[in-house]
Amino acid sequence: MEARIVAYLAHRMPDASDIAVDDLHQIHGGSSQETFRLRARWRARDTVVKRRLILRRAPNAGLVVGEHHLEYDVYRALAGSDLPVPGVHFLELDPVWLDRPFFIMDLCDGKPGHPYAPGDPYDGHGERVARAFWRHLGTLAAIDHCAVGLQHLRNGMAETGFWLAELDRWDGIIAAGETLAQPALSGAIRWLRRNPPPAPAKPAIVHGDYRSGNFLFTDDGKISGILDWEMCHIGDPMEDVAWAIDPFWPMTRHLPLDDGLAIWEAASGMTVDRAALEWWRLFSAVKALAIWTTAEASFASGESKEMVIAMSALRAGHFHREHLLALMRARGAMG
Amino acid sequence: MILTIETALRGAADILRDRIAPAVDDTFVGETARLAGMLLRMNADWVDDAAAIRVAENAVLRALFADARSVVSDASLAARLAEAAQSGDPGLRVSELDRESNRLRGLLTDLHLHVEASDRSFDQRIWRLLEDFEAARAPR
Repeated sequence: MEARIVAYLAHRMPDASDIAVDDLHQIHGGSSQETFRLRARWRARDTVVKRRLILRRAPNAGLVVGEHHLEYDVYRALAGSDLPVPGVHFLELDPVWLDRPFFIMDLCDGKPGHPYAPGDPYDGHGERVARAFWRHLGTLAAIDHCAVGLQHLRNGMAETGFWLAELDRWDGIIAAGETLAQPALSGAIRWLRRNPPPAPAKPAIVHGDYRSGNFLFTDDGKISGILDWEMCHIGDPMEDVAWAIDPFWPMTRHLPLDDGLAIWEAASGMTVDRAALEWWRLFSAVKALAIWTTAEASFASGESKEMVIAMSALRAGHFHREHLLALMRARGAMG
Repeated sequence: MILTIETALRGAADILRDRIAPAVDDTFVGETARLAGMLLRMNADWVDDAAAIRVAENAVLRALFADARSVVSDASLAARLAEAAQSGDPGLRVSELDRESNRLRGLLTDLHLHVEASDRSFDQRIWRLLEDFEAARAPR
C-alpha cells in the first residue's frame, strides 16, 4: 500500500521529488472509515518536507456510511474557525488509486480518551478536557453554516423541521437494516413523533457523533483535534448536546452536567431548553440503535469483518435498548 | 465430561487473549485479536440457553396475543392474533426460533400500535414485557 500512496502523492504533487512513505499502520478510530497513520517525506525544490499524516478510506461496509467527501468538506470549512480540527490535503474519489475513496489529512498531536477503558481516560485532566469539550461544542453551534460554505450539508437549506427530518432518516435506516423486529424501538419512535420538541433558536452545524473517543487531547489537558465528522449535518444543536451526554460515553463523569451546559450556553449564545434536551436524549438512543442495527446487518451479511463492528452490534446494541427502555419508563410508559 | 460449545469457545477466547494478542507486533491486529476473543466469550455466554430464551419469549408473546383478542377491535388484527396465539415454534434450531421471534415481534409491534391509544393498561403491559425480554437477552 505504501507504493500506491507514493504514486498518488506523485500524481497530486508533480513538482515534488524523492517521495517516500513509511511507518504505515491501520489504527482504530472512526469505525465508519478505515484509518491509517503514515509518515511521508518529499523534496520540494531545495527543501525536504516531512509530514505525519492520516489517510481515511471508505470501508466496504460497517456502521452507517456517510458521503465520502462530507468529512473532508467539513474539515476544510472549519479550518479557519476556533475549533481544533486537522488540516486536510487531498480528497480522492477515484477508486483507481486505493480501491475506494479516501482523503489525507494531518496527524494531530494527542491521543483519544477511550470512554470504555477502566480508570481515568484523560490522565488526570478530566475536568479540563470536559470544559474544553463543552466550550468547543458551543462554539460549533454558534457558527453560521452558510458563512463557512456548509449549506450543502443535509438540511442545510432548511430553517426548521430538523427533528422530523432526522427522525425520518434514522427510522428509514432501521427499517432497511433490521432483521429482528424491535417493538421497543418502534414504540419509542412513535412517542417521539407524538411529542415533537420545540424548534431550535437557530439552525446549527451538528457534528453528529460528538462524544468521548472522537477527539484527541494532549498532556496538558487541551483538546487538540475534533475528529470523525462523517455524520455532520445541519440541525438542532440539542442533538449534539444529547449525544454528548449519552451514558454509553458519559462526559458527565468528569464535569457535572449543569456546569457543562453552562459552558455550552456561554460559548453558543443560546439557552438549553431542558424539555427539548429530553426529547433529543430519547432520539439519541434511537439513533444509536439505528447505528448498531446497521453494524449488525453488515457483519451478519459478511460485508464487514471488523471485530469492533460485531462487538458494537452485540454489546452496544443491548446497552442502548436497555437505556431506551429506561427513558420510556421515565416517561411513564410502564405505568 | 462433554466438551460443550461453550467450553470450546471459552478456550479459543482465552488463547486469543492470553497467547495470540500479546504476541502480535501490529497494534491494530493485536487489538483485533483481543476483540475476537471478547466476541467468542460473549457467544460462549449465550450459546447454552439461546434456544431456551427464545422458546420462553415466544410462549409469552403467544399468551399475550391470546389475552389481546379482548381489547382489539380490528377484525383483521384480531384474526392474526388468534392465529399466532395458536401457533407453535417450527423447530428448536436458533435460526428457526429467530425467524419465529421476528414474526411474533412484528405482530407485537402492530398490536402495540393498536392499543397504545386505546388501552393504557395493555400498552403498559407490553412495555414491561419488552423490559423483561431485554433483560433475558442481556450479554453476560
